[in-house]
Amino acid sequence: MYNDQELFSTLHMLRNENLDVRTVTLGVNLIDCVSHDLEVFKSNIRKKITGLAKNLVETCNQVGEKYGVQVVNKRISVSPIAVAAAPFSPGQMVEVAKTLDSIAQDVNVDFIGGFSALVEKGIANGDDSLIRAIPQALAETQRMCSSVNVASTRAGINMDAVLRMAKAIKEAAALTADADGLACAKLCVFCNIPQDVPFMAGAYLGIGEADAVVSVGVSGPGVVKAAIDRAVQAEPDMGLGRIAEVIKLTACKVTRVGELIGREVAKTLGLPFGVVDLSLAPTPTVGDSVGEIFESLGLLKMGLPGSTAALAMLNDAVKKGGAFASSHVGGLSGAFIPVSEDLNIAQAAAEGHLNLEKLEAMTSVCSVGLDMVAIPGNVSVETLAGIIADEMAIGMINSKTTATRLIPVPGKKAGDLAEFGGLLGHAEIIEVKQAAADNLFVRRAGRIPAPIHSLKN
Amino acid sequence: MEKVIITVLGQDRPGIIAAVSQSLFEQDCNIENISQMVLQSEFAGLFVITAPEGATIEGVRESLNKVLAAMNLEVQAKALTKPQTPASTPAVEPFLITTMGPDAKGLVARITAVLAKHGANVTNFKAVFHGGQNPDRNIMVYEVDVPADGNREALYAGLRSKAKEMGLEIIIQHRDIFDAVNKI
Repeated sequence: MYNDQELFSTLHMLRNENLDVRTVTLGVNLIDCVSHDLEVFKSNIRKKITGLAKNLVETCNQVGEKYGVQVVNKRISVSPIAVAAAPFSPGQMVEVAKTLDSIAQDVNVDFIGGFSALVEKGIANGDDSLIRAIPQALAETQRMCSSVNVASTRAGINMDAVLRMAKAIKEAAALTADADGLACAKLCVFCNIPQDVPFMAGAYLGIGEADAVVSVGVSGPGVVKAAIDRAVQAEPDMGLGRIAEVIKLTACKVTRVGELIGREVAKTLGLPFGVVDLSLAPTPTVGDSVGEIFESLGLLKMGLPGSTAALAMLNDAVKKGGAFASSHVGGLSGAFIPVSEDLNIAQAAAEGHLNLEKLEAMTSVCSVGLDMVAIPGNVSVETLAGIIADEMAIGMINSKTTATRLIPVPGKKAGDLAEFGGLLGHAEIIEVKQAAADNLFVRRAGRIPAPIHSLKN
Repeated sequence: MEKVIITVLGQDRPGIIAAVSQSLFEQDCNIENISQMVLQSEFAGLFVITAPEGATIEGVRESLNKVLAAMNLEVQAKALTKPQTPASTPAVEPFLITTMGPDAKGLVARITAVLAKHGANVTNFKAVFHGGQNPDRNIMVYEVDVPADGNREALYAGLRSKAKEMGLEIIIQHRDIFDAVNKI
């Protein structure tokens, strides 16, 4: 029998602190579905994905019930469509997107990711078609997510791709103007995208992965906050080194819960287990916020001086705890700071403590980047491209993943409220510094060369 | 001589284990297992021993009683029954079932009746009843072996229905989740 502390701390984590398995993501390789005939390709991918995923939701529910840990989302990631569907035109790519969306509905998963392209070094025919198709594909589907990797430490930043993605974002926003540009919430622009992210909107199955693989994304900002609060309450003078230790141990426990669930789902489905992605991924509910952790650490508000240091400590401790818990930690594993999806961060932005520049600074030490940031609808393509390029530069130089999920909300300006609904939340639109003249820098095209430290052979 | 199980009961105080083990040592008995617990202020100890050739169960008990009676402790001794081995041991899965809610008479009886109906064996049990309505003060934790081939959905439904009837919150979890979190 476990002692009282073991029993009740575990029960508290699961019941009162919002610990859940945020997502089980089934990765499916679609390269063996390739055909030059669109109908054959669509039929092949439907057959393969539904064959593998038909029991995914039921299995996740059963395993979740067995352990008393809810698997909140069940998702699918597929091979980058720009590769698997390379022969097709932009119009045909939209057809592929609709097929993926329909498959997601058939097998009842929340999202399907992988309408993706990897163009950090150059844009191939399939990539070109896919990028052209992104606005319409996202506007005319509900469950499909898209990501494009435009930069890497090894290749540099493809500024042609950056500019094209800025245009795609603007178009996607315009096509969903009646929903505050909702399509953009399903689109990430990446630097150094990992191949095994189970979290949306960046999930896709990398070319180096198995034919089908089950990965798991565990969240737990509430658990980490509660652990810090308990420790500080017991010892008010606790130093940051000890607090980092508390975060690390908590992250370790949370990762082990995720791995247990993920491995059992994989075993039941007869598939290999991939990775646990331990990311502190918030939801727009009280007690499930990364922003609240900052206040537990002693910061008055997220965004005030000290926030970047606090986030660096949090992110590092989470990675250390996860790395000790499992040999297969992957994905992004760290702390997300999605503005609209985190009640506390959204409030900090609305109150003016957190601006775009401070968010960008914080992304140099967080897990992802400028995530779910609502910006004025009239932001120019060049300015948008500049923001993306800056974020990509942080990832490229620091050999880390960075991304943007920016939403230029049509018809709205800084200070207005953008509403995305559900887990995507809402946020006040953040001011963007726009120059009156064109930003020639982002129109020069070409590729920003890879940094010297990319030469690691 | 076959194995003997000795039970010692009485108000807890320092020196009980020392007194019992010294007496057994003086009788040339070998202690194989000991398990003891204190509930509120009452001590309960179980000792499985093997006694030397020629010793009797009654003799061992009498010798212990001479020492322990002065400490107001009761002693029982009996031969340890060999377990009946079934043709094959059914596969089971370990679960932890926790209930929290207002104190009332019959909580344990009603929950264990559901477990028994579904062939689930309680292997460990802890209950704390402080009375009143505060669920955190009235908690039962059952460690249970559930038949692997049983109807788990029916067991869950039965337990949840019974718990609801009594105003209890019930949490049913495979034990591995506690192992994953606590045994690092």
